[in-house]
Amino acid sequence: MQYQPALARDALIELACKRYFGAVDAKDLAATLACFNDEALFTVQTSFTTHAGKDEIERMFIDFFNSWKTIVHKDFVLTVDEANGRIAASFEAVLTAEDGSVTRLSNTNFWRVRDELFQEVHVYMSGANVLV
Amino acid sequence: MTEWSEAGPGQPAMPYAKYVDIVTKRYFDGVDNKDLEAVLDCFTADAVLTEVTSNTVHRGREAIAAMFRRLFSDFSSIWHGNFVHVGDPATNSICSQFTVLITPVGGSELRYENANRFYLKDRLFHSVYVYMSGDNLLQPGEA
Repeated sequence: MQYQPALARDALIELACKRYFGAVDAKDLAATLACFNDEALFTVQTSFTTHAGKDEIERMFIDFFNSWKTIVHKDFVLTVDEANGRIAASFEAVLTAEDGSVTRLSNTNFWRVRDELFQEVHVYMSGANVLV
Repeated sequence: MTEWSEAGPGQPAMPYAKYVDIVTKRYFDGVDNKDLEAVLDCFTADAVLTEVTSNTVHRGREAIAAMFRRLFSDFSSIWHGNFVHVGDPATNSICSQFTVLITPVGGSELRYENANRFYLKDRLFHSVYVYMSGDNLLQPGEA
C-alpha cells in the first residue's frame, strides 16, 4: 500500500538506522516499539512470518532480546525513496549467544513509513528466521 | 575518479522512472518472455548476481547468461508482478519487492515473494542481490 510521504531523506535514514537499529542493538524495547504505528505489520518474507500490531511485535522483540547476549547490526547500504516514504537497507546482523557462538546474517529490510513511523517492515534473511 | 561501490557517491543519476523501467519493462519483461538478449542488455559485462539465501554467486555476463538459459529451460512459465520499489537516483540503486509465479516443466505453479537489490554502474546493473522466499531457482548453468 502507498502511504503519504511524511519524512525527508535524512529523517528516513535517522528513523530506520539510528533510532530503530540503535534501540534494537541496545535491547531498548520501549524505544524500539516507539518506531512503529500501533497497527504496524512486521513480516519476515523469507519464512512467511507476519507479526500484526504492536502487541505481537513487542512479544517478538522480547523473545529476540532474550535469545541473544548481544545484537549488532552494521555495514548498512541504504536505498532511500523519499518521494514514496520508503527505505531499504542491506546490513550484517551479528548475533552472539550466551555460549559465545555467533550467528551472522546478511539481511535486507524494506520499511514503509506512515505518519513518521513504520507501518510495514519486510525482512529478507540470508538464513533461518531469528524473528519468530 | 572515485572507485565504484554499491550505492557509492559520485555516480550520475537517471530520472526516477528510469530505475523502475529497467527493473520492470526491460529486465523482468525480458525474463518473463524468455528474451535472453533483452535480459543480458541490462547487465554490465562484469556484473555479479548473488542469490543471498543460498549464497549462489554468478560472476560476469556469461555466467549470468548460463544461469538464465537453465532457468528458461527448466520452467515453462515465469511471471513477476505486484512490485513495490524503493528507487533512489541519489545512490544509483533500486530495491524491489515482488511476487513470482513460476511453473516447472511438467510441474505445478510455485509462488514466491522475493526481493532484489539492484546497484547500477552508469545505466546498467553491476551488482544484483536476490532474496527468495523458497528454494533457489537461479542455479548455475552450463557455460
